[in-house]
Amino acid sequence: MRMLTLAVAELRLMGWGLKRYFFNTGALVLVMYLVFLGMFWGVRAIAGGSVSGDSLDSMVVGYVLWLMAMMSIQATGGEVMNESQTGTLEQLYLSPLGADMIFLFRILNGILFNYIFVTIMLFLSMLTTGRMLTVDFPFFYGVLLLSILSLVGISFMLGGIGLIHKRIGSVYGILSFALIGMMLLPVYPFTGWALLPFVAGAHTVNSHTVHGTNFPAWWYILITANSLFYLAAGLMVFRVFERKAMRLNKMGQY
Amino acid sequence: MTDPGVLIHVENLRKTYGRTIAVDGLSFQARKGEILGILGPNGSGKTTTLKSILGLVSHDSGEILVNGLSVAKNRKRVLESAGAVLEGARNIYWYLSPRENLLYFAGIRGISARRATPMIEHLLRKLELWEVRNKEVRQFSSGMKQKVAMACAFVHDPEVLFLDEPTMGLDVEIALSMRNWIRSLVGEHGKTILVTSHDMGFIESLCDRVLIIRSGRIISDETLQSLKARFSEKTVEVVLEAPLTQAQTEAAEALGPCQTVCDDGSCRLRIRLHQPGSIMDLMDILRGGGSVVKDFSTSGNDLEDIFLQMIRREP
Repeated sequence: MRMLTLAVAELRLMGWGLKRYFFNTGALVLVMYLVFLGMFWGVRAIAGGSVSGDSLDSMVVGYVLWLMAMMSIQATGGEVMNESQTGTLEQLYLSPLGADMIFLFRILNGILFNYIFVTIMLFLSMLTTGRMLTVDFPFFYGVLLLSILSLVGISFMLGGIGLIHKRIGSVYGILSFALIGMMLLPVYPFTGWALLPFVAGAHTVNSHTVHGTNFPAWWYILITANSLFYLAAGLMVFRVFERKAMRLNKMGQY
Repeated sequence: MTDPGVLIHVENLRKTYGRTIAVDGLSFQARKGEILGILGPNGSGKTTTLKSILGLVSHDSGEILVNGLSVAKNRKRVLESAGAVLEGARNIYWYLSPRENLLYFAGIRGISARRATPMIEHLLRKLELWEVRNKEVRQFSSGMKQKVAMACAFVHDPEVLFLDEPTMGLDVEIALSMRNWIRSLVGEHGKTILVTSHDMGFIESLCDRVLIIRSGRIISDETLQSLKARFSEKTVEVVLEAPLTQAQTEAAEALGPCQTVCDDGSCRLRIRLHQPGSIMDLMDILRGGGSVVKDFSTSGNDLEDIFLQMIRREP
């Protein structure tokens, strides 16, 4: 019951933030759409008429997955950085329900927001390319949620590093490029690349949405295990850095 | 800890940052319904001590119990009964209103909006924030922001409130209203307060007991009353028509260090009496030597004088 209250408090905080910074939220949608337009026109200019429908579809889905991945990976690290900057991080650590639970609910709320955001982006992108995909939304969101948890784990790791080093913004820049590369890696039939976070899930969502590919049950088990592994590892790393920050009295410093 | 009246029990607390010793074997207790002031120069270990009790800083050794619970083993349970306003941090979200901040901080302590509403309304009225409850905190003065932070720290009705430099940068009026509110928390609700401050007047007017810390060690732990009694030296200034005789000077020096400065037909005698009751002896010395007293004034030690004397005196 108290956890539910915490979840509601976090949801309310997100709502207040979106309301206060409504312009910023709108600008984010616009900028992300403009980035997609740039990519789309770039591909059209380079490939001309030879660009296939499937390639455009892949680009649309790939872009949306990349957006989701980027937003998820920034979740905990970004929150830790923001809270450090605003001088409220220590107050979160005074919650008897635990700062880790606060961050977890923030991430879950963030995923909810990101779902809405990427759905808008998906439809805007489809309208731009003129290619209307038949999206199996339960599958799309379900597999995305399963695989995105691995990036939540990475995000916890970055959040932990953020507790000590505070400014980790440049890491996100590197990761955004790394993610693009990772999502192009061949993972199915099974290769070692599938063990990287998010890659197998992203491939599954893309292939199923664009080509209607179906995957065996063990593949989904692999995606789940992969996510749980990275999530557990991320939480462990976060706890290690958390203890270090408490030892060094770094929690309240920025 | 056997005494049920003790809320906070700190024993042999030690904390180092690399080679720097921040807290060096600190031991003290705070009783329920007590306002304990912690004084010390910058870097003396005040904030580290408070943060260690709250579990925000992990200590190297020693034991901290709050309400009989070990902070090291039951930190989350300890936090159920603790609230804090920390120095050097905003403590609250400036983009939210006081009401929103209060709702949020109640929520992250597991208190639903419905259950928190009576307390939120009480705090907003008590701290004179009711009229501005829906305005963004960023528009407020430092004092108003500090009031919101205090309210948020108290929204879950904790047994103990930790206030780290609560009056820093505040004007006299707001500091006064905060002092009154803190006093009412103790007087009306039996709360325990641990407060650090550089504002000696604030501490003097608020605290029952004062800990003085230097280099991570306690150099004094006593009630304000006994501290003042221990440092009861009085400085007396007497304006005389003529200088003291040799015999008068020798007799006065036996009461305490004195100094006489003469100019324009009058002499000013300044003497720091070891015992406050020696004023009468001084008057006898002056009268016995036939001195004419034109003016007479005394000044005692306030907490700031005592603090400075202790900090300078202790090795």
